[in-house]
Amino acid sequence: MNLKELKEIIDIVTSKESIEELELEKSGLKLRIRRASNSVPAVSVAAAAAPALTMPAPPPQISTPQETQEELFYIKSPIVGTFYKSPSPTSEPFISIGDFVEKGAVVCIIEAMKLMNEIESDVAGEIVSMLVENGQPVEYGEKLFAVRPR
Amino acid sequence: MFKKILVANRGEIALRVILSCKELGIKTVAVFSEADRHALHVRFADEAICIGPPKSIDSYLNIPSVISAAELSNADAIHPGYGFLSESAYFAEVCEASRIKFIGPSSEAIRLMGDKARARSEMNRFGLPVLPGSEEAIHTDKEAISTAEAIGYPVIIKAVAGGGGRGMRVVHNRSELLAALKTAQAEAASAFGVPDCYIEKFIERARHIEFQIMADEYGNAIHLGERECSIQRRHQKLIEESPSVIMTPALREEIGNRIVQAVLEVGYSNVGTLEFLVDERNNFYFMEMNTRVQVEHPVTELVTGLDIIRDQILIASGDRLPHSQNDIEFRGHALECRINAEDPVTHKPSPGKITSWHAPGGPGVRIDTAAYAEYVIPPYYDSMIAKLIVHAANRDEAIRRMDRALDMFVLEGVKSTIPLHRQILRTPEFKSGDIYTKFIEDFQQDRRARAVEMA
Repeated sequence: MNLKELKEIIDIVTSKESIEELELEKSGLKLRIRRASNSVPAVSVAAAAAPALTMPAPPPQISTPQETQEELFYIKSPIVGTFYKSPSPTSEPFISIGDFVEKGAVVCIIEAMKLMNEIESDVAGEIVSMLVENGQPVEYGEKLFAVRPR
Repeated sequence: MFKKILVANRGEIALRVILSCKELGIKTVAVFSEADRHALHVRFADEAICIGPPKSIDSYLNIPSVISAAELSNADAIHPGYGFLSESAYFAEVCEASRIKFIGPSSEAIRLMGDKARARSEMNRFGLPVLPGSEEAIHTDKEAISTAEAIGYPVIIKAVAGGGGRGMRVVHNRSELLAALKTAQAEAASAFGVPDCYIEKFIERARHIEFQIMADEYGNAIHLGERECSIQRRHQKLIEESPSVIMTPALREEIGNRIVQAVLEVGYSNVGTLEFLVDERNNFYFMEMNTRVQVEHPVTELVTGLDIIRDQILIASGDRLPHSQNDIEFRGHALECRINAEDPVTHKPSPGKITSWHAPGGPGVRIDTAAYAEYVIPPYYDSMIAKLIVHAANRDEAIRRMDRALDMFVLEGVKSTIPLHRQILRTPEFKSGDIYTKFIEDFQQDRRARAVEMA
């Protein structure tokens, strides 16, 4: 990676407010950039040639249209597991973008240790976007859906 | 050899496991609670999965979360560290059922040693002396008197369902016995719901000496010598060292061999530590066995030159014991101080941001820590933030080295036990090795008395 490429990456990170932290590993180079505006403390590392980190396990989130914080509610995963948007591989998804859901409506399944857990919406509102892919591993607290509350 | 190990822990021990994995070329998965998003173990693992909110019960102790994370990441083994799920026989079973190798002994061994009364009677059967005591709860006055007589005063009355130093009463002679028993039973009933109490020999000036063992899954076992952990407060160790001042090579060999025999008889594998209480005549009494790696393992690593975590991983992956007893040599003296983020006098926890940090270095100085400058110590977990371990040619030099290292440890922004450690190390009693389990209690009482005098 040359200086020009590095600058480009830095520009991308700083221009996209949705990116808080970027980690990149590529043929012998590990790069980590963290947005300075948040209050997260910097980690001081003893004598590393370059800040070094590798890609965390969950694949990158699908980018969503930007909405302001106050408008949207995020349904987050309460467990660690695999996200499925339909009750079974051959069924229709539980919900689609634009659907209205009531509080308590089942929006997806997260499978953990061979058990299918139905995940319910905590609010009533319109499904604005799905933030994970079908079959994607999700961690605790991972944002699954964005909902515009009624 | 494992391809990927999930570390089911946090803090310094998670980092410790990760570093041995790195040296073995094994990929690592860290699990973390929301409070640990910026923890070092998350940073240095190859992958990291958030498994729950801050509280331990919902995250690090949450078995479905941990197992799910192992399945998602395709980990072939889990290292449980110490504390948390490391001594949960149930968790070891779930790992076995999920076909993920639990790096430690079998769930049966964990279950056996977890039942303290059963562990004692088993080990006694295999030749380890145990503290004389009533096998079961005392039900009549007559039983109490005859049991106490048989044991020999002083005795201690303990709640069957109790622990952590509560519901205990020391009795020095027969005239005190029955009243003390009644009181202990009443306390036990109110604190633990069960009035049952048993009677055990009480050792006035006891040393806590433990032996490290290591066994493979093929019936081979060795011991790695002892550690003395008599400096403790409310059963929490503060300072550990190896060797113990009372140990001789002959005694070490004798006890070591007996222990190795006993652990082989119970079919133990991987690492473990047998804890003993030692009276003033150097009689060893087996108290309990910890079926995991211990906090103070670095003390043994420094005097033997081994990497215990690495050996754990090798054994769990099916290797034969990496060392024979003849390979084990003990060199010099090692000392460890547990640096806790707490007030050195009141021991109230002191979480918060570390504003300034510089760890000491130099020959024979080792720091095991996951703290760093600007780190915010979360309030949800135990207060230990670093282990400072030193190694030197002999005990006097080790004490001097530790004092120097503590002096050069910059830790600001939170309170720590560093001043307490320095004071303890300077007492003539510690310097001469005249230590015992009530040392801290007496030391603090002494300090309070002197403070009153000077006021």
